[in-house]
Amino acid sequence: MNNTDLEKYKSAWKEEKSFREAVLTDSEIRAYIVKRSKGLTASFKAGLLLDIILKIILGISFIALIVLFRGKIGIAGVCTGSLLILIYLLWSHITTYRKIPGQDEYSGDIQNFLKSRIDFYRTKFLKTVYVIALTNPFVFLSGMLYYFYFKYGIIRPLDIIDIIIFGTLCIVGFALGALVQVKQYNFQVLQLEECLKEFEEGEINENTLRRHKKQKRAILIIFIIALIVGLLLLGILLL
Amino acid sequence: MTKEIQIEGEFIELIQRHQNIIHKICFIYSKNRSDREDLYQEIILQLWKSYPTFGQRSAFSTWMYRVALNTAISATKKFWFLPETELADIGYEDENMSDMSEDIRILYRGISKLAKVEKAIILLWLESKSYEEIAETTGISVKNVSVKLVRIKARLAEIIKKMQ
Repeated sequence: MNNTDLEKYKSAWKEEKSFREAVLTDSEIRAYIVKRSKGLTASFKAGLLLDIILKIILGISFIALIVLFRGKIGIAGVCTGSLLILIYLLWSHITTYRKIPGQDEYSGDIQNFLKSRIDFYRTKFLKTVYVIALTNPFVFLSGMLYYFYFKYGIIRPLDIIDIIIFGTLCIVGFALGALVQVKQYNFQVLQLEECLKEFEEGEINENTLRRHKKQKRAILIIFIIALIVGLLLLGILLL
Repeated sequence: MTKEIQIEGEFIELIQRHQNIIHKICFIYSKNRSDREDLYQEIILQLWKSYPTFGQRSAFSTWMYRVALNTAISATKKFWFLPETELADIGYEDENMSDMSEDIRILYRGISKLAKVEKAIILLWLESKSYEEIAETTGISVKNVSVKLVRIKARLAEIIKKMQ
């Protein structure tokens, strides 16, 4: 079959009645425009907003803990430190939220649309996933402090075993949260990258991909170092 | 409020007038009825959200192709842990296709084997868009459009030939 044979299908396409006859009613269109988007950007936005709310609640709970443990310098210090970190993470989320690609890009050409989306996800997304995953250790920390306060009224000094168990739980909480999300979003972003490769014949994009990989590794290392340093400081303060 | 209602009414009227574009894009980019429903929703939603950016510099249909294709191409498979469903497994001839001509069914099966960007280019060709219009919508040069189109058409012809 040569290309000219495709003309037969092109004619069939032009004459196909069902495309002309299919009708979206007024009420169907109205129903569609009030629904929520199921796209990647929308789910990213929703996840970000949910974490902003969660971090605000956590911030309030740490303020309450500072008041409850006002006489204990070590614990109050941990809570103040956690609160400051949460404020920084919140600020980081808000900055990312503002940078989410706008709706106007949908009206642009396909290649630029894909480039902009991929660039955003590869540079901002990974950082955001780790910031979201950091919520878990903070939930664990505040939950533990409330539990000790209401159950025993005090927090006894922690020994090295306590610190190891506590630290492991924090790392596991962080890792589980991050791994699932990274895997999920990577799966979706890779699909977009495949589309972009179709435009660039798999060559031009190599540099961009290398740059993204480097950034990915750097972000992961920074977060692991920050988590370990944070846990060490926490251990020193609670010992 | 009145202005909002007026804008909504205007939008709905435009969508109804050009809805065959959405039907065609959803037809090409979905594998089953549920996919198609999701894509209808997503495309109309994105068209509505992007409507304020429609500056009337281009025709509504041109703008609509761009928004709808960007939406269809960026609609990703949701979960990595779910197996990919093969077209053959789900049966492509759902109730919407039973009324279609045999040529359209064959064409659909052939196009379903193409990659997403290839689908966009072939769709625009089927719609008799000029190379300039295809270049403008996809973001590649006119020369590149002609090269890609030759390749995609040859590939599609080959796929269809194998199916027959």
